[in-house]
Amino acid sequence: MSISTLNSYLPHVRLPSRRRTTTTTSNRVLATLSDPHVLRLAETLEDSISAASPLPLPYLQKLRDTSSQTLLSTPWPSRKDEPFRFTDTSFIKNADIQPVPFSSTQSLSSLPVSEDTLLPNLTVVDGYVVDSLSQLSEFPDGVFVGLLSNLNSESIMKRVSEYVSDFQGDLFWSLNGVGAPDVIVVYVPEGCKVEKPLCLRFVSVNGSDKDSKSLPISNPRILVLVEKGGEISIVEEYSGGDENDKSYWTNSVLEVVIGDGAKVRHSYIQTQSLNAAHVKWTSVRQDSKSAYELTEVSTGGKLSRHNVHVQQVGPDTSTELSTFHLSIGDQLQDLHSKLVLDHPRGFSRQIHKCIVAHSLGQAVFDGNVQVNRDAQQTDAGQLTRSLLLEPRATVNIKPNLQIIADDVKCSHGAAISDLEQNQLFYFQARGIDIAAARRALIFSFAAEVIERFPEKSVQKKAEGLITKLLIPKLLSR
Amino acid sequence: MALFNPTFSFKPCNLFSNGPQRCRYVQSVRNFTLRATVSVEAPSSSTTDTGGAPKLLLEVKDLSAVITESKQSILKGVNLTMFEGEVHVVMGKNGSGKSTFAKVLVGHPDYEITGGSIIYKGQDLLEMAPEERALAGLFMSFQSPVEIPGVSNIDFLNMAYNARRRKLGLPELGPIEFYGYVAPKLELVNMKIDFLNRNVNEGFSGGEKKRNEILQLAVLGADLSILDEIDSGLDVDALRDVAKAVNGLQTPKNSVLMITHYLRLLEFIKPTYIHIMENGRIVKTGDISIAEILEREGYKSISGT
Repeated sequence: MSISTLNSYLPHVRLPSRRRTTTTTSNRVLATLSDPHVLRLAETLEDSISAASPLPLPYLQKLRDTSSQTLLSTPWPSRKDEPFRFTDTSFIKNADIQPVPFSSTQSLSSLPVSEDTLLPNLTVVDGYVVDSLSQLSEFPDGVFVGLLSNLNSESIMKRVSEYVSDFQGDLFWSLNGVGAPDVIVVYVPEGCKVEKPLCLRFVSVNGSDKDSKSLPISNPRILVLVEKGGEISIVEEYSGGDENDKSYWTNSVLEVVIGDGAKVRHSYIQTQSLNAAHVKWTSVRQDSKSAYELTEVSTGGKLSRHNVHVQQVGPDTSTELSTFHLSIGDQLQDLHSKLVLDHPRGFSRQIHKCIVAHSLGQAVFDGNVQVNRDAQQTDAGQLTRSLLLEPRATVNIKPNLQIIADDVKCSHGAAISDLEQNQLFYFQARGIDIAAARRALIFSFAAEVIERFPEKSVQKKAEGLITKLLIPKLLSR
Repeated sequence: MALFNPTFSFKPCNLFSNGPQRCRYVQSVRNFTLRATVSVEAPSSSTTDTGGAPKLLLEVKDLSAVITESKQSILKGVNLTMFEGEVHVVMGKNGSGKSTFAKVLVGHPDYEITGGSIIYKGQDLLEMAPEERALAGLFMSFQSPVEIPGVSNIDFLNMAYNARRRKLGLPELGPIEFYGYVAPKLELVNMKIDFLNRNVNEGFSGGEKKRNEILQLAVLGADLSILDEIDSGLDVDALRDVAKAVNGLQTPKNSVLMITHYLRLLEFIKPTYIHIMENGRIVKTGDISIAEILEREGYKSISGT
């Protein structure tokens, strides 16, 4: 990265901050090549963290060191950077970002969200685990669900420490590494099949008013480590308070390590405020014969971005990604997925669907599948479909396959359309009026993803959510 | 008023509200209330002469139509008159316009009417939207029904059935009540109950798709059912099931317009008239003997030109 490129970011920043950053970073030489805005933000995060926990665990210390090192040479992404070509992050950049203090989250006696889950759950408010709102029980021996700082088992700590990530994400990944107060660890020992799904509930309570410049940030970080032959189903939920117009920024990272023949089912529902920023990383390592299934429904956020990175580290893996995004307002829903296959006989199926139902709504999909030289006999399929229900609604789709191996079966398809004419006619021919037919077809469009949630209760919840959001839209047409 | 309307066909409580003329063909009320399938097994003699002149149901005059997109002319002056209780069969070579005719009747957007008229029950059918035609008792079974992923068969049927109930001013049925109504109908098409939970036509075999069309007909009822090649792609057993179901739904009041290539179906369902279509026109009309000649000697023997 040349200095001239970096300079293009500088006009956004006031000078005094430049001076301040150089005094706090350990590496003064690098600092001159850094984006002052990024460094200032990193510094704010570091300050809040060191105030909360003065003596971090080696794992956290290492994570923070690597992350701050990376941040020194990471500029704020612009539309000129390919991964952010269609995703404008100025909403976050222009805000006054303030970490939520630990103390403000522990006094809650009940959640400001009405829905209750019967699943064992860990509740995280603004990035901090709240024990009194969590309900963890009945996990088999050897399973650990909790904060890294509460982890007593040396053997698990040793295993976890092997996975301090060397993965290179983006700016947001590294900001999370600096700002995460602790790490939520989910550990499943060898051969252990956890029957009950584990629900991780992330709730953003502290938010500023819509027109305020201040943006409270939380940086939850989760590590899921499933040993050889283990199995677990995880439901990850992000929501806001009942008033759905607060501004906040959830910058979350989930790392999943799946051992030999192990299996992880991952459900992800994001329903945060329409004035919030939601940036999420899901980074998965799959060992041989392992299986990973992701099912996602995202409807919230003014700026919502999910980065999914799946790295194959052994042969015969199975990966299924099913995602549904809904832009119901002036908002952007972005999925950047990358599946890297380096070993033979991988199997993958990806379906991404999105509906944009607002003239200022936007959806972005970048779906990359890399089939490298040794990944022979890979069977990879990808399909994306988008429905634009309003004039000027926008979708930017970039499905891309990079195939180097020569004995593979790969397919991809992309369609952006209104509803199918002949399907609509089939309804009409049976006496159903066109508005009702459209409604049914729009719901069925989402249903294809929703019905893949492994838990019935999650399916029902997602259905209810989509109905609640779409019905007023469709009736007003 | 739809005569084959499920709400009173199979429910004894509703029978009493019907006029006396309907009791004529319901030979025994007791018999009728036993099981839904009883009516299927009852023979469907084409008893159009139930006293009084049969009513005019459909009158098609000089109908011409083109493909909306390419403006290619398909129908070039079709004339057809049907009375209540009649079974008409349209035969003809591939590309003669049979299916187009069927689709035009139900208002398919792929075709544009360029001339002529269609009067159905005294109304101008061309002025009606497809869903209004359906609610007025017109039903077409699709030759290749479209798959609708994400919509279950039972939800689809429930929506369609409730649309009809609304039209009749009756309260809509909730999912549980509807299940009770629809479940016995499955016997009619010889399908298992899980058929209802599958998505509409998704992954159905050819036979299952046809059975599903007939199931819809049984649930919704029709004054005029247009069966477009309901026999194509069926094995012998499936053909018998489908034909039996169609027969079972037949009453002296409702009418059938069948499109077929084969005489086989006509062994099960007795036609009143057979029409031969050629190059967008009906060129010959007659009784079953036409079909027999056709089977023996091909279309050349009865070509209108």
